[in-house]
Formats: sequence, structure tokens, C-alpha cells
Amino acid sequence: MSEVEVWLALVLLTLATVITRSTLLVLGERVKLPLLAERALRYAPACALAAIVAPELFVAGQQVQLDWHNARLMAAIAATVCFIVTRSLLTTIVLGMAVFTALRLWFV
Amino acid sequence: MQRWSLQFLLRPLLARLSWLVPRSGAQRAAFGAGFNDLLPALPGIFAWGLVTGVAMVKSGLTLPQAFGMTFMVFAGSAQLSSLPLIAAGTPLWLIFVAALIINLRFVIYSAALRASFRGLSTGRKIFLGYCIGDIGFVKFMQRLNRDPHFPEQQWVYLGSASANWLAWQIGSCLGIAGAAFIPTHWGLELAGTLALLAVLIPLCLDHKPALIGACVAGAVAVLAHALPLRLGLLLGVMFGIAAALIAEKVLPVEQKAGRKAEQKHE
Repeated sequence: MSEVEVWLALVLLTLATVITRSTLLVLGERVKLPLLAERALRYAPACALAAIVAPELFVAGQQVQLDWHNARLMAAIAATVCFIVTRSLLTTIVLGMAVFTALRLWFV
Repeated sequence: MQRWSLQFLLRPLLARLSWLVPRSGAQRAAFGAGFNDLLPALPGIFAWGLVTGVAMVKSGLTLPQAFGMTFMVFAGSAQLSSLPLIAAGTPLWLIFVAALIINLRFVIYSAALRASFRGLSTGRKIFLGYCIGDIGFVKFMQRLNRDPHFPEQQWVYLGSASANWLAWQIGSCLGIAGAAFIPTHWGLELAGTLALLAVLIPLCLDHKPALIGACVAGAVAVLAHALPLRLGLLLGVMFGIAAALIAEKVLPVEQKAGRKAEQKHE
């Protein structure tokens, strides 16, 4: 991606921030969301995050890799367990990166 | 001479920004109360900013681009999510659509804030909307639940938004500056993905349909990862939302349990 395209992407991302956060505030209380839209909206963020995170973790070098050679996946599993137990973002990231680094240095 | 011209330029600018600063004692107290609401969360916000700062540089953004991203976009999960898309040369429209979808939760937040900001000017509403953050919103709603008409609402909101902005931007800038000293082969951009996981997990734990939707979305995105233009992302989101809505219908008991859990959290 060229320098100009990256800046264009940043402007579009800024627009995405403002559109989603401010539009309803500006339009005010006249606007009512349809019920189905409101229900679908509640699930959209979880689905979008999963659809972005999953390929980052499961796909290594264009191929789906599910064994312990996939250090990113193993780190993510450790991080998931850690977050459910501790609920601490900082501990989770430190532990996940430690698992990833250990596997990267000694096994993979 | 120079100082005089600088003042001449700055004074109208500062006058325009003066509405950002609380005036009366009540406004200052409200601003402080909002700021204090966020104090326990500040280390987490700082760490999340730090990780985002490092991830931006490690995924290939130049320093000006990384600083531009943090001060313009100001949306952690959207920023982290768009980094692999930018690195893979994804078409701009798809990066934009993906960010809109990730940010959709803010549509729900802003819908809940409309009554509090009734009667303010359009410019001010846009600014207050731009400041919405996840934790600040939760804290503000807790206040609204205790007393729907508590005084100086926008100053409480601005206080917590300021704390959030400061912790986030300080963390982010330190991350951008420090990233140069960290070798790329350490794979630190994985920390950004792990941080996104930590956002995703609470969304799924309290609500079975969301968990099912996220699993389907992830599985479809992985299976479709070879599709051009990262279209697997859009397919994943569409199948995921459909699965969650179906699960909501099929699992009526679970849904009630989920609602109860949500009410407890509020």
C-alpha cells in the first residue's frame, strides 16, 4: 500500500469513528432503530472481532495449522485461559507473549 | 513582536475551545467526579494504548502515520483490526466497512446517551460523540441508573472522557516511540491480537448467542481466508450475526439468563 493510500485509509477510519459515535447524537431522539437492526447490532462487534482475530491465529503461511507448531495459536489459548481466570488485560498479554516467545525460541 | 503575533493568533483559538473547560464550581466538581470514575481503569487503558502503539509501528506504519492514526482515529479495536488489513493491501472500501462494523457498538452507546446531551449544539454533540469510550460509557450508565437526572451530566462525561483520552494517548505515544527499540522478529504485533481477544471474551461469556455467533464468524473467516480482498471477513460477520440471531430464537431460556446477567452488570 502506498504512502497516500495509507493516509486515505486513516482518514476513512477517522470517518468510521465519527459516523458510528456521533450520528445518533446529532440526529437526536426522533430516530428509532428497528428492533431487528438493534438485535443484529448487538452481535456485530463480537462477530467482527472473531472474524479478524481467528485467521490471525489459525492460519500460518496460507495454511490452517492446528498443532503446537503454531506458536500464535498456543499463545492465544494460554491468553484466553489466563484472561478468563484473572480478568487482567496486562497479565494476559504478558503471559501470552511469554508462551509465544518460549515456543518460538525452543521449538519452532 | 513575535510573541504579540502569537497571542493574536492563539487568543481566538483558545476562546473557541473555552467551552471544553468547566467554569462554575459545580461543573468542576462534576468533571472531577467523572475523572475519578475512570481512575481504577487507567492502568488497563494505558497498557492497551501501549500495545496499540507498538503494533502500529510493527505492522509497518511510519512514525507520522502511527501518530496520525492514534490522534485522528482514536479507536483501539478498529485500529488494531485494520492493521493486518492495511499490511495485506486490502482495498480501502473494505477497510472502511470493517471499521464501521467493529465500531457498531458505539451506535448503541450513542443511542443511550442521546437524552443526556439533549439541546446541545451540533458541533458539541459531534465532539462528545467522538470521545465515547467503552469503560467511560459503562461508568456513565451506572450513574444514570442510580439517578437518571443527575446534574451537570456533560461535565461528568467530559471528565471521564479526558481521563480516558490522556491514559490512552500517553500509552499509545510511548508504544510508538518504544517500538523502534524492539526487534520485529519478537512478533510483538501478536500482543495487539491478544488484546483484541481480551475485548472479545467478555462479549461472549455473558451471552450464549454471542458466543455461537463469534465461533461461526471465526470459523467462516478461517475457512474463507484464501478468498481475495479479505472477503472472508465480511462472510464471517454475516454468517456469525445470522447464527447468533438464530441461537437467540432457539435458546430462549439461555437468552433470559443472559439478559439477567447483563442487568446485574449494569
